Amino acid sequence: LFSKLTNAFQNITGNKVLSEEDVEPILKNFADSLMEKNVASEIAEALCKSVANTLVDKRTESFTTVKATVKSALVDSITKLLTPKKNIDILKDALSAKQKGQVYSVVFIGVNGVGKSTSLAKVAYYLKTKGNLKVMIAGCDNFRSGAIEQLKTHCLCLDVPLYEKGYKDDAAIIAKEALQDAKNKGYDVVLIDTAGRMQGNEKLMRALAKLVHINSPDVVLFVGEALVGNDAIDQLTKFNQSLIDYAVQDTNPRTIDGIIMTKFDTVDEKVGTALNMVYTTGKPIVFVGVGQKYPHLKKLNVQTVIGALMS
Amino acid sequence: MVLAELGQKITQALRKLNQATVIDEKVLNEILTEIASALLGADVNIKYVAKLRDAVKTIVTLQMNNAAVANIRKLIQSTVVQELTNMLQSENKPYEFKKGKPNVVMFVGLQGSGKTTTCTKFAYHYMRKGWRVGLVCADTFRAGAFEQLKMNAAKIKCPFFGHKKETDPVKIAQEGVNFFKEQKFEIIIVDTSGRHKQETALFEEMQQVQAAVNPDTALFVMDSSIGQACYDQALAFNKAIKVGSVIITKLDGHARGGGALSAVSATQSPIIFIGTGEHFDDLESFNASSFIKRLLGLGDIGGLVQT
Ligand SMILES: Nc1nc2c(ncn2[C@@H]2O[C@H](COP(=O)(O)OP(=O)(O)OP(=O)(O)O)[C@@H](O)[C@H]2O)c(=O)[nH]1
Ligand SMILES: Nc1nc2c(ncn2[C@@H]2O[C@H](COP(=O)(O)OP(=O)(O)OP(=O)(O)O)[C@@H](O)[C@H]2O)c(=O)[nH]1
Ligand SMILES: [Mg+2]
Ligand SMILES: [Mg+2]
Repeated sequence: LFSKLTNAFQNITGNKVLSEEDVEPILKNFADSLMEKNVASEIAEALCKSVANTLVDKRTESFTTVKATVKSALVDSITKLLTPKKNIDILKDALSAKQKGQVYSVVFIGVNGVGKSTSLAKVAYYLKTKGNLKVMIAGCDNFRSGAIEQLKTHCLCLDVPLYEKGYKDDAAIIAKEALQDAKNKGYDVVLIDTAGRMQGNEKLMRALAKLVHINSPDVVLFVGEALVGNDAIDQLTKFNQSLIDYAVQDTNPRTIDGIIMTKFDTVDEKVGTALNMVYTTGKPIVFVGVGQKYPHLKKLNVQTVIGALMS
Repeated sequence: MVLAELGQKITQALRKLNQATVIDEKVLNEILTEIASALLGADVNIKYVAKLRDAVKTIVTLQMNNAAVANIRKLIQSTVVQELTNMLQSENKPYEFKKGKPNVVMFVGLQGSGKTTTCTKFAYHYMRKGWRVGLVCADTFRAGAFEQLKMNAAKIKCPFFGHKKETDPVKIAQEGVNFFKEQKFEIIIVDTSGRHKQETALFEEMQQVQAAVNPDTALFVMDSSIGQACYDQALAFNKAIKVGSVIITKLDGHARGGGALSAVSATQSPIIFIGTGEHFDDLESFNASSFIKRLLGLGDIGGLVQT
């Protein structure tokens, strides 16, 4: 009887060789809970599958249940995913460009209404206050009503100049002129606002690729909402692919360099978009938008995201 | 329309029913898993997906042993359709505009969902049908909100009320509505700032605007790309201010719109229009039951678009 008991005890608390049947139902539950947290279904499934592969035939540690073992493997794998190999430090890079006497430029792209212009204003505030940099904003959304006035208002509050041509001309050319103007006037940074567009709209995606290619900005930032569901994957894939496919000839294809995830304050613990975005691109989340005011721009806290996902 | 992609997947899953010679629990589970995955891929709220699965399973399991295969097939199909329809349809009817009196409509929603653009499309829709429509800008928060609606109104030649310098949305909303009421306007549209449930102050502000202008109906504008957070937000909006009907925007994109569909069940309010582009005529009327039927290829009854 005694040996029987120890045996059962061992099964729950460690030293057990894991089989597919052990881990699968547990991972299925985790996958469901990830999806509830807004992780896209295909990503939740792929993630759990890869965790299963690493676990099967492994031995659980002593005093550890199968569930705890699975959970800790999942947490490890999400942590690895969210911790990018190559990070981008905009402030540092802008300061070093300034030392070399170069104008540092960032372009903000993304679908409609996600928070491109607001994030751009927040980044202007950040570079100005943290780096004492001279920032200029380029108003290259010459489509949406009020887009220029929106930037004008921000520029007034932030005391930075706006380069704009109203609602006329070619956005790519306006950006080019802004970069030249900044150079002439001795500005350190140019932040380029673009119009929102749907990722499948070929005409508008071509125009965006042109803007990126003829201006070769230092950084291309994709702006996406924490609110978005499965569409995040398609948005990122198509924006990235359009930059490559519609590249101007004789230029090195550019891709998205980093991500700003906005409206993080609106999703509570449903933070799965962070995972979707990084999984899709392998690119870092450079900033997270956590509100509608200028200081509401944070760095991604991986532990917070994991805490919310596993809650 | 991209919602159709979801329909295709469900139809495909259901088609498997016709190929199966026996319908046992295994077949049923396979089909349900496939349908669930299509719904989740379209951002339908996970609780509803579970509910749909359970409902179909319960009904079908009861019949499994004592009905002919053909009947079970029909049963599964009709239960799935019924559950989807339940999700999309609401018993509440949208507010009906009355000629010759002021009808006040308040637009609310999350930040960037498309309220200001949709307000303008909505105004344009009714202007073309001969109604006297006025637009009121009660968004005093967002930079450039005043100019945005003013420029939009000018483009469709719709009378506009707003003050660039005013900072109190309640005051401006009230003034605007009174202004258009005095001039005997029939549809008075109030555009408000974007907001979310986590900011209590913003929700209180919305309630104050509502109390001040006493709208005949509140329109909830929701972005079709929204994921699992949608249900909670829609529920909170509905609790704070009774949502009369829903408009889903940006359906010209790739999103399958399931998150937004969950908003209907959260608010128990019907979708009346869908937005399909950035231009002012990119607005289509929406009818839930003919939509589902078309979605699932069950014959086009009445058509999707009524004009
Ligand atoms: N709660 C919250 N709201 C945000 C955040 N970032 C932006 N917003 C709001 O989202 C709305 C849209 O922001 P914009 O910056 O105009 O978005 P955009 O991407 O430039 O929009 P288009 O140019 O029309 O495509 C505004 O009401 C912003 O205040 C955020 O981090 N949190
Ligand atoms: N492609 C597409 N874009 C749309 C649609 N509806 C709105 N938009 C775009 O979405 C963006 C945001 O729209 P707004 O009308 O400013 O959104 P809002 O809800 O008023 O934003 P806030 O007032 O900041 O909360 C703009 O770029 C619009 O042009 C649509 O149906 N399709
Ligand atoms: Mg913008
Ligand atoms: Mg607005």
